Amino acid sequence: MSTKKFEVRLNINGELEKIAVSANETLREVLRERLELTGTKAACDDGSCGACTVLINGRPARSCLTLAVEAEGEKITTIEGLAQDNQLHPVQQAFVDHHAIQCGFCSPGMILTGLAAIREQQAELSRNEIREAISGNQCRCTGYAKIVDAIQAASKMKSEE
Amino acid sequence: MKDYKILGKSVARIDTPLKATGDALFTADIKLPRMLVGKVLHSPHAHAIIKNIDISKAEKLPGVRAVVTREDSFDVRWGVFKYTQDHQLIAVDKVRFVGEEVAAVAAEDEETAIKALDLIEVEYEILPAVFEADEAMADGAPLIHEDHPNNVNIHVNIDVGDVEKGFADSDYVREDRFSSSGETYGMLEPYTVIADYKAAGALEIFVPTASPHTKAKALSNLLKIPLNKVIVRRSNVGGALGGRSDIFPLDFITATLSRKAKRPVKASYTREESMTCTRQVHDMIVDVKTGVSKTGEILAQDIKVIMGGGGYSSTGPIAASVPFLVWEETYRLPNVRLNSYRVYTNKPIRGMYRCHGRAFLGGLGMQLDMIAHELGIDPVAIRLKNALQAGEFQATGSKIFGCGLSEAIKNAAEKSKWAKKRGKMAPGKGIGMGANGMMCGFPMGIRGGSSAIIKFNEDGYPTILTGVVDNGQGNYHAMVQICAEVLGLNIPDIHLVAADTEVTTLDMGAYSQAAVFVGGNAVKNAAEDARQQIFEIAAKILDCNADELAIEEGKIFRKNDKNSAIGLHKVIRKGLIDNTPVIGRGSYMPEVSRTREWVSNPKGQQAGTFSFGANVVEVDVDMDTGEVSVTKATGFHDCGFPINLKAVEGQYEGSIASGGLGSSLMEEHLWKNGRMLNPDFLEYKMPLAVDMPEISANVVITDDPKGPFGAKEAGLFGSMNSFQAIGNAVFDATGVWVKEFPITPDKVLKALAEKEKTVK
Ligand code: FES
Ligand code: FES
Repeated sequence: MSTKKFEVRLNINGELEKIAVSANETLREVLRERLELTGTKAACDDGSCGACTVLINGRPARSCLTLAVEAEGEKITTIEGLAQDNQLHPVQQAFVDHHAIQCGFCSPGMILTGLAAIREQQAELSRNEIREAISGNQCRCTGYAKIVDAIQAASKMKSEE
Repeated sequence: MKDYKILGKSVARIDTPLKATGDALFTADIKLPRMLVGKVLHSPHAHAIIKNIDISKAEKLPGVRAVVTREDSFDVRWGVFKYTQDHQLIAVDKVRFVGEEVAAVAAEDEETAIKALDLIEVEYEILPAVFEADEAMADGAPLIHEDHPNNVNIHVNIDVGDVEKGFADSDYVREDRFSSSGETYGMLEPYTVIADYKAAGALEIFVPTASPHTKAKALSNLLKIPLNKVIVRRSNVGGALGGRSDIFPLDFITATLSRKAKRPVKASYTREESMTCTRQVHDMIVDVKTGVSKTGEILAQDIKVIMGGGGYSSTGPIAASVPFLVWEETYRLPNVRLNSYRVYTNKPIRGMYRCHGRAFLGGLGMQLDMIAHELGIDPVAIRLKNALQAGEFQATGSKIFGCGLSEAIKNAAEKSKWAKKRGKMAPGKGIGMGANGMMCGFPMGIRGGSSAIIKFNEDGYPTILTGVVDNGQGNYHAMVQICAEVLGLNIPDIHLVAADTEVTTLDMGAYSQAAVFVGGNAVKNAAEDARQQIFEIAAKILDCNADELAIEEGKIFRKNDKNSAIGLHKVIRKGLIDNTPVIGRGSYMPEVSRTREWVSNPKGQQAGTFSFGANVVEVDVDMDTGEVSVTKATGFHDCGFPINLKAVEGQYEGSIASGGLGSSLMEEHLWKNGRMLNPDFLEYKMPLAVDMPEISANVVITDDPKGPFGAKEAGLFGSMNSFQAIGNAVFDATGVWVKEFPITPDKVLKALAEKEKTVK
């Protein structure tokens, strides 16, 4: 394995991090291991679960399939970046209120994926649109029903803003 | 529904805000100072003698701090029961499945650890292997454990009434075979262990476990250290579904690496390792012969089950019994015989999943519909005819207390508009029902009970100590709700310390649907004990009798005079100064038979109480491709009393996905020569949001006489009876029975083609 390091600048949750990474280091590793932002979860090794989802320039991306060097200069939002002043973000609050979280392992990825869909919405999202939007994210606990409820409630709030 | 201040409301859970912000720590998120990385070397062979292991090169690699092999096992075998102790948690003489743990390394970083694994040389002598349970049982099959003829690990025999006479008295008898392959648990969190073996001889271990006290007991046996020195810490559990209750080789191996390296070690399984080396679900073949009267009353049943158990026992006797027990908890079976065989095979070890017994419960529930069809009886009517009622006894002798089974069946039929739909839907569309009972707690000896302590600080706020575990179901919140209700406090007033063997007392954890029922009763009793102590101290201040007092909003007052109120903190302080500190203590042991034993004596009360549920699903079958999709699910659940309604709903909804339609329609492991072909989420498909129907989750309230505030198990019925509901709905849609699970498109097409042939 190459030991050559590359200096990358990552804008994570509004803070600039300068960090030396190897060419094969994933964003997931950098977030979890180097920066100790462990809210980003790791549940697979091949991009198939969505637990490691972060937002890159507002769009959901799998941090396990993204090399840290690719994220140079991009705006990255992790789950730790949502709550402001000890206030949950409205999508986080909706997940809590609607019992959309059971074990919680999928929740960071789900919340960020839901948030991205809501930010892009033209009108309040239908249940089927929400199901489509989160179908890259596995949840083994909830049967997705209350996750859809939560995203729908947050979407409704957004559309009424 | 009774009106409580805290209970029965759908309040947001105490544990979920931290999970929403990413602050909740799971095992893999924890870092200890000077922590090493552990990696495991697995067997590439399904069955082989280990002739030699050479670790000399690995040990010399810079950065390697410890290597563990069979030399480090204490020659102790683990088993859940004395008579199932067959598993040395690192392979010693031979390996019995592809993936079995043979050696392990702890190193400064992952790369070094992986390199070191490559340097370990293992010499094997390959033995003939056998992979399918029925083949393993045949005479002459290679023996996987030499002392188990025909590879029979467990044989459970139950014989109640006079089965032959029952068949002779029957008007209609039929025999069917059902089968299912094994599936994955698929909890999202990969298995991870952190072990820190302290110089003082104590082991601290962080692990996603549903049963920390059981884990501690096993590690105490295996490592030969006293139980009070095994500290199993609760970290959040990223889903369990039945697959986090057992003891895994990685627990023992990581602890041993830490002991040898004298440093903390973290070992994380990859997805592939998690899927192959923790547990899978049993594959199963079920032959069932059933005799009924003209009116559909079950008169006799003879059931033979063969389960592929993999290389070791795991929870063998329980696994071999539970599908039948769930069946006898549901229907009146006057004459019934069970021969259930759990068989060793050269596949990885099998355990009990959320919906353990897919071919069994799916099969028997489908056969009930076949019988109804032959006799011209409605499937709802045949279920109601045979459904057990409160006060009745099950075949092996358990009494039913609260029972809303019939009500659940009727309500599910009514709400789903069964009568208008069954047999009347457009071709390719169908509706089907399933129903079952569910034990709350297994007979587990000393491990079957729970105790709790509630202590108070001088400001009046309490802390609960309980061994109960929350894998995501909401058990922690339920404990806090129960405590708050009894003590007249609000949820944020209460702190909870759970599932930490250093401080909490013995509890079986989130196992066998017992957490709210058993642990909840213990917490309720502890809170009532604390309240009594509080009243006795307050009576001295208020100059009255303890029984004249009430507590609300942190104030104690005479029931007839609210103005007399004094603050709880004052009472707590007086207790401290008078040397009568308030410490609530409560316990609960379900009233189960002390002589019942899984194999040797399966008779007598097997659980403290039972919950019930009925589930109606609608399907859409694509007649060209054979693909089945579930379009609607309607469930009614007798959970006694819903402590937290949304949490109860969530359990049902989840079990419609994993276990439910996942196991019924899409999920199965594929194998070649004992090697798993789909050990990842790309190849192994689990239900996604787009696969899910609209779900209507409902409760039947029966206020169970044994449950805390009437509560008992919640939600498992959705997965336990989805197979029969879906199988029956497929018949309603297509006119064919598919008797092999999962019901994949190829099987539907094949059954349709066969039907066409017989019609022609
Ligand atoms: S961890 Fe990235 S998709 Fe699974
Ligand atoms: S809540 Fe457990 S995986 Fe989604």
